[in-house]
Amino acid sequence: MLTARRRVAASVAAVLTGSLLLASCGGSDGGGSSDAKTLRLWHYEAPNSAMGAAWTEAIKEFEATHPGVKVKFEEKSFEQIQKTAPMVLNSSDAPDLMEYNKGNATAGLLSKQGLLTDLSAEATKRGWDKLLSPGVRTTSQYDGDGVMGSGKWYGVPNYAEYTMVYFNKDLFAKYKLAEPKTFDELVAAMKTFTENDITPLANSGAEYLAQQYVYQLALSKADRSWVDSYELYKGKTDFHDAAWTYAAETFADWVKKGYIGKSSTSAKAEDAGVSFLQGKAPILFSGSWWYGRFQDEAKFDWGTTLWPGSTLTPGSGGNLWVVPKSAENKELAYDFVDITMSKKIQNLLGNKGGVPVAADTAAITDPKAKELITHFNTLSGRDGLAFYPDWPVPGFYDVLVSETQKLITGSEKPDDYLDALQEAYDKGAPKR
Amino acid sequence: MKVRAPRASRASRAPRDSYAVFLLPGGLVFLAVIVVPFLMNTGVSFTDWQGVGSPSWSGLANYRDLMDDTEFWASFRHSLFMVVAMAAIPTAVGLVLAAALFDYVGKHFGSRITTVLRACFYLPQVLPIAVAGIVWSWILAPDNGSLNELLEAVGLGGWRQDWLGDPDFALYSVMGVMVWVQLGFPLVVFMAGLQRVDPQLYEAAELDGAGWWRRFRHITLPQIRPEVYVVLTWCTIAALKVFGAVYVLTKGGPGGATDVPSYFSFSTFFEKTQVGYGAAISTVLTVIILALSLVGLRLQTRAEDAEEGART
Repeated sequence: MLTARRRVAASVAAVLTGSLLLASCGGSDGGGSSDAKTLRLWHYEAPNSAMGAAWTEAIKEFEATHPGVKVKFEEKSFEQIQKTAPMVLNSSDAPDLMEYNKGNATAGLLSKQGLLTDLSAEATKRGWDKLLSPGVRTTSQYDGDGVMGSGKWYGVPNYAEYTMVYFNKDLFAKYKLAEPKTFDELVAAMKTFTENDITPLANSGAEYLAQQYVYQLALSKADRSWVDSYELYKGKTDFHDAAWTYAAETFADWVKKGYIGKSSTSAKAEDAGVSFLQGKAPILFSGSWWYGRFQDEAKFDWGTTLWPGSTLTPGSGGNLWVVPKSAENKELAYDFVDITMSKKIQNLLGNKGGVPVAADTAAITDPKAKELITHFNTLSGRDGLAFYPDWPVPGFYDVLVSETQKLITGSEKPDDYLDALQEAYDKGAPKR
Repeated sequence: MKVRAPRASRASRAPRDSYAVFLLPGGLVFLAVIVVPFLMNTGVSFTDWQGVGSPSWSGLANYRDLMDDTEFWASFRHSLFMVVAMAAIPTAVGLVLAAALFDYVGKHFGSRITTVLRACFYLPQVLPIAVAGIVWSWILAPDNGSLNELLEAVGLGGWRQDWLGDPDFALYSVMGVMVWVQLGFPLVVFMAGLQRVDPQLYEAAELDGAGWWRRFRHITLPQIRPEVYVVLTWCTIAALKVFGAVYVLTKGGPGGATDVPSYFSFSTFFEKTQVGYGAAISTVLTVIILALSLVGLRLQTRAEDAEEGART
């Protein structure tokens, strides 16, 4: 199977190379052949997700506007691309266009190693730079050290994501609780639920949710320069500062008070999502990637709000379209990215429950989708996307999981927890 | 004598040469998939490399870091627990069960029941570890896992635990799952070993009034000693390189409580993209496994030689 696929790929490559030589055309960067007949595309969005549906439509649109050109799409898993991308991109098997995770430890690392194509000229020429807000654009650009936020364009996100408080309106109504508009109201609601033997917050200690609670608590006491220091190394990050200390202590306190279940230590993100969907946990704080699923599966009335009392929240542009340095048909890849940025595809993405970055607001008809996009516009307007806590250092995700688990089990005090984070951060962050 | 000797040596050399031809493909595959990657891995372990770009030579730095890495040594301590769970306990329990099935169940309930029971014990070995791991993570789930529900149902609700999420229990829970996974292998090997024990030995012992335990101690155990060595060596190696179960059940958590060297190497390699350091971990792990295997085989050979010497 693999051999057959490789043989086909080799034949396609041979035909393309031969035609390139015969026609003596194509850019000096090895791409841009006007007679290329195949666009090799990899992404890892589920077909029924908002992005999956939008990209499927984009493929149709691409083939309609590029007669004679076939899109050879290969569906990959997130893990597959995450774990093997550097090796694949370093080989001759690289596709023409690929979805890849954003951030210093991923797209930044590849850009630093020279494995990605510089898209700066295309971003200006095709107007992508105008379509993306500053917060979303941060993950597109990387400097010479692979640090996001400035430098050349190495990726284009077509959607955005952000975290929010999902709450079960039926359960709030049952216990005569108002929808949480302030932080105090949120805490009061959690207290009431606990008094009624309900663990209010859905959590997963074995995966990202727990660390995002901690990070959100820190963000509620932070500002943009704090985020820039932490994520972009523009200053010194002190894990014993007021924001991190408040976050670690409050989180530990919430575990003690029963707002976060001790038994969530080994829970995965899916477990947390399911406990919210089953009506067991009335509140879940997580990303917009849950939105479409909750819309489909929740059997109760639910609402969302941004984390009360905080300007900043975890979020960013979505995963990136990147063009490998060794891609053979770069021009086709740019055309495809351009189509995904078109109003038609962006509006489709929005109506399917995604967060488009360049949609026509009037064209979003679904009321829930409108709410999602309104929240995003509020965040975007106040420059509130604060990225994710695991981004600054490769492997920091595992450190955060492991250490936050200790905070949940009580086997580590907040002070020791912050010491451990500081040590891992200092060890992995680039010296600047 | 003088005439016969060269003929004998010719006769013994000819089959050896033909065997060598049969060994060649295996040898080449071994070279390609074991020796060369191992040497490459060892080479990488002397570099500082993120998996892409050019590696830079760092000499013994990775090994020096490894010596001071408390997480690495903690993972090795957990490995010793895994040796208990995957080698010691299954071998001991497997021996008793194999003897019981062969000597008692077989006699009183027939060979069909014995075969069914043996297959039941062996079933976890057939299941992919990913499937078994997922099923066990449901069973051990804290809120609605079957084990906690069962405890509740029989009035032992106070014993409910977060089996995989509590650092005081997680390692023992993983060990329990591994005992379940591993038990079938020694059992089947020991039962096969028991087939070659002369039944007259048991009959004679029974006539002399030896009970089941005495027969087990003085006949079963000594007779299948070679199988015990093989199983112990094999299972110890499996325990030292255990990965799948930890990956599926706990991912080394909570807070590193179930981390083992192979998972530690994997996360260093792929999550932290410290490829050179990850390679150093796996090199050390390979050397330790190799050394233990050689010691195991040596002990086995020595014991067998001693037994043969005692018989002659």
